[in-house]
Amino acid sequence: MSKNHSTLLAVTRGLLWLMLTLIAAAFLFVIVSGGALAVMWPEIAVEAKNSQIFLDAGNIRPQLFALLAILAAVLAAAVYIVRKLQALIATAATDPFIPANAARLRHIGWALVAVQLLALPLGSVARSIAVSTSQFADMGGINLQSILAILLAFVLAAVFERGTAMRDELEGTV
Amino acid sequence: MAIVVKLDDLLHAKRMTLTDLSDRIGITLANLSILKTGKAKAMRFSTLEAICTELGCQPGDLLAFEPD
Repeated sequence: MSKNHSTLLAVTRGLLWLMLTLIAAAFLFVIVSGGALAVMWPEIAVEAKNSQIFLDAGNIRPQLFALLAILAAVLAAAVYIVRKLQALIATAATDPFIPANAARLRHIGWALVAVQLLALPLGSVARSIAVSTSQFADMGGINLQSILAILLAFVLAAVFERGTAMRDELEGTV
Repeated sequence: MAIVVKLDDLLHAKRMTLTDLSDRIGITLANLSILKTGKAKAMRFSTLEAICTELGCQPGDLLAFEPD
């Protein structure tokens, strides 16, 4: 394996660990926010009113809970995707064309579909409570990049399946 | 598989072991063993040529078709 290739793999490994750390931080934020919503609602309602981001700041508590729940599900899917990618990268240095990697890529594709599906209610809840000009209202919804990533994952899974079959054939060639 | 490799018979006729053949034609013992036991999925022309040269045989002496 070339030096450039192994450097790239090492950088990717590092970035995936960084992503896991960021996801953990985001998860912590969701838990703390959920706790704050549960016990400090009057103060949060005042802050929400002052921010002028929300349409009816006094009545958005259930929606905020729903947003946090959806965010937690998105983060869980993100952890699943990163763990699958880590397993894939672990095989890249030695033998990437194994049936498990095609399955991993397909699972990543389905997890990305789940994230995109979760982004739809996330977007509609955010738009229903926030002023349309605020950044808060831009949350979620359909994302072209996500759809491209889903297609890429499924295409790569098919490529890996074919690659694995070809590798098997080559291994049986004397 | 319907294709049978008769390497064992040819080696026996030549009083040669698989290790001897491996040393002479430069194909690993593991690969020759895969070929001998019928586990190979494909065979290179270069391998066929090396075996036929060393054992003084024709490809038809090495391979046979036996319908399942």
